[in-house]
Amino acid sequence: MSADRETTRVVRSWLDEGVTRLPDRVLDAVLDQVPTTPQRRHLWSAWRLDQMNIYAKLIVGVAAVLIVAFVGYQFLPSNGGFGGQPTPQPSPTPTLLAHGTFTAQGINTTLDATGAGSNVSGRMTGSNSDGAFTVALQCERTINGLLWIGGDVTQSTSLQNAPVGSRTAIVLKRGSPVQAIFVFQMSDPRSATCQAFFDDMLVIAPQSDIDAGLEPIAGTVELAP
Amino acid sequence: MDTDLVLRAQRGDEEAFASLAVAIGDRLHAVSHRILRDVDLAEDATQQALLTIWRDLPQLRDPARFDAWSYRLLVRACYAEGRRTRQWAPNLRILPADELAGPDATSSVVDRDQLERGFRRLSIDHRAVVVLHHYLDLPLETVAETLDIPLGTVKSRLLHAMRGLRAALDADARPARQEAVR
Repeated sequence: MSADRETTRVVRSWLDEGVTRLPDRVLDAVLDQVPTTPQRRHLWSAWRLDQMNIYAKLIVGVAAVLIVAFVGYQFLPSNGGFGGQPTPQPSPTPTLLAHGTFTAQGINTTLDATGAGSNVSGRMTGSNSDGAFTVALQCERTINGLLWIGGDVTQSTSLQNAPVGSRTAIVLKRGSPVQAIFVFQMSDPRSATCQAFFDDMLVIAPQSDIDAGLEPIAGTVELAP
Repeated sequence: MDTDLVLRAQRGDEEAFASLAVAIGDRLHAVSHRILRDVDLAEDATQQALLTIWRDLPQLRDPARFDAWSYRLLVRACYAEGRRTRQWAPNLRILPADELAGPDATSSVVDRDQLERGFRRLSIDHRAVVVLHHYLDLPLETVAETLDIPLGTVKSRLLHAMRGLRAALDADARPARQEAVR
């Protein structure tokens, strides 16, 4: 037997000796900390939503809209009322932001977004074997050359990635083909605003992770120039 | 590893993670102890690795690669422990009487002592390669994948480490031979 083989035999035999069992107290310490240790969801995770707060905010928001609508209605010009006949105005054409039907990261996606900044409207739907979700789009921003379009999940059977009330975004990289990655906030603490959601997700998933996760889409998407 | 358990833990199922931790805890601890050669440091490293596994589990894309991924996190935890504590307390182990019986019992004890010293002189990088390959029996390609380093680096680290350990054993043999000549 060569010296090398003998050394390997002795080392292996030596390594086989020693501790093989994790003390229960160490395991207990780990399991005690699990409930207070949030999981880091790469690009598709979220903390549980504070449903109470969300519903409360929704109720307050809806009430505020109704009050404004009622007050505004009282001052609307009408026949026999204040003011004259309104001058017909051409309705502004919404600015295209993104429009297409494609598959990205295995998610069959439809995207229809107009507007810019924090005044985005439109809808995104996604579906795969995990379920389907619909996002009411609210905002967009170009970050490090990538177009982020995000909003609130309004309908979902994809409870793992996109529960109702969570925020979701798609990140698009221009090119041929366009590349995309989905960003789900899932059970993470809900960001204060749609724009803040982008910033928060970049903390959880740094730009390098976003870049690494981008995958070419299959299908077509038309992006604003 | 039970992929279903991994998937459930990925989704935040704490009970599934508890089962997972029980299943892998001993193995992780055995590895960390062999790398760090210190019970307390190994316990800290294993604890940290298990918590990191829980925290980062949703980021694991392929649950089938859980084992390699968990070893990678464990080795990182060992690096952290190694950096945190440069001074390692000696580990004393009382040998059972039957281990001392036998014709070459004395040389075995000496070998252990020399190996212990030789191993402690190695960096964590080198120790990790030795333990993953010679204790876990992982092929070198898997060691490279686990540690996220090139295969050539694994081979050179293993070669260097084994030379160091052999030198440690030879160093013990030399004075003994000289003693016999006198």
